[in-house]
Amino acid sequence: MNFDAMKKNQGESNLLIWSTAVAFFAAMVAIFIYVPTEQTEGVVQRVMYFHVPSAWLSFFAFFVVFICSILFLWKKEREWDIYAHASAEIGVIFCSLVLVTGPLWARPIWGAWWVWDARLTSTLILWIIYTVYLMLRTQSDAGSMRARYAAVLGIVGFLNIPFIHFSVLWWRTFHPQPKVITNEGIGKGMDPTMLATLGVSLCAFTLLYFLLMGVRVRQEKLKDEVDQLTREKHYSV
Amino acid sequence: MNLFLSQVAAIAWKDFVTELKSRELFGAMFIFALLVILIFIFSINLSVVKASEVGPGILWAAFLFSGTLGLNRSFMLEQENGCLMGLMLAPADRTVIYFGKLISNFIFLSIMELFILPLFMIFFNIDILEHLLPLLFVIFLGTLGFCALGTLLSSLASNLKYREIMLPVLLYPLLVPIVIAVVRMTGQALNGTPLSGMMNWIGLTVSFDIIYIGVSIMTIDHILEE
Repeated sequence: MNFDAMKKNQGESNLLIWSTAVAFFAAMVAIFIYVPTEQTEGVVQRVMYFHVPSAWLSFFAFFVVFICSILFLWKKEREWDIYAHASAEIGVIFCSLVLVTGPLWARPIWGAWWVWDARLTSTLILWIIYTVYLMLRTQSDAGSMRARYAAVLGIVGFLNIPFIHFSVLWWRTFHPQPKVITNEGIGKGMDPTMLATLGVSLCAFTLLYFLLMGVRVRQEKLKDEVDQLTREKHYSV
Repeated sequence: MNLFLSQVAAIAWKDFVTELKSRELFGAMFIFALLVILIFIFSINLSVVKASEVGPGILWAAFLFSGTLGLNRSFMLEQENGCLMGLMLAPADRTVIYFGKLISNFIFLSIMELFILPLFMIFFNIDILEHLLPLLFVIFLGTLGFCALGTLLSSLASNLKYREIMLPVLLYPLLVPIVIAVVRMTGQALNGTPLSGMMNWIGLTVSFDIIYIGVSIMTIDHILEE
């Protein structure tokens, strides 16, 4: 990476940082001041504006892992491996946020931290799969083997999602459906102010994803560069 | 095509001959499956819960746990003395290695399951002979899916630092859908539901099997690459 390219990158990421900051400021104002408190659920319902965007972001991140894994196996370029790695890390973080904010809301509303409902179960399994994906990356030395193995798992893992979805859905329909879950859906018709707040929050989180991606990818590339320079130094002595 | 089949058969045959000579794996798998069933029986009270409700889950837990022993060995064995390199140097496609290993894993596990089933029938007091054909069909589909994904991940895990630990950790979360499906189907088959009554589960399992065999064919080249 030469100096000019770095400067150009800096300019782009500055723009991204500022727009993310503005979007998050707007989202915070909307969530804590603008949107009215939900009548039946009370103030705890506001966690939804973090919960839903986090869920969207983690699924989006896992999809990016899938695409980048295919592209890596196809083109064999280190670039795609870095993208897949960065995206998986972000996805796991936001998936964890989903699993944390969910029980916070569920405890007062459902009266239980956790229910073995289809959506909860599949999110948990998804979290496990991608945590294992990150573990796999620590298990082999850096290089083409690690990238290839991770890419295979990225593909296999994402293809598993429809199977998980249907199996836990059918698994649960044999039991009485917990009727609380219907309260949660967007389908019931939300108040326009709530919808707007959710939209702003979604935008802010999506911008955050690209910001984090940029930082993480740059970090990984610099690491590669440092590795290379160290190796050159060792060999030149 | 004929060449392909004979190459696959040669690799599977090699595994059988090794096993016949050493007799290490099969006994361990069988005893381990038996132990898993015993441990579960200790943890539940069969006079309170209905055996046909908990039985399928326990049966499949035993199959999967002992099947993992077989999978772990499948490629680890080849790591010794550089046998894997020898296999890869052979003038054959990489998919041949995958299918050979898939077949030997599948047959080892199937034989073990055939030995476990009568014991399951005795321990849980469930008459499986009544619905034997649907039951065997369900077990066939489940075992095939387990081996399809398991063989792929076993080839991958054999090169990792902590291979014995990593294989189950990699494999079990991905197996969740097929485990739910086969446990449901086994329960229904034992209750006398005909196969037509569980078409959604069969569809899920069959597509799981097909998709993961397909993915393995496409990705095995990238795993077995030196």
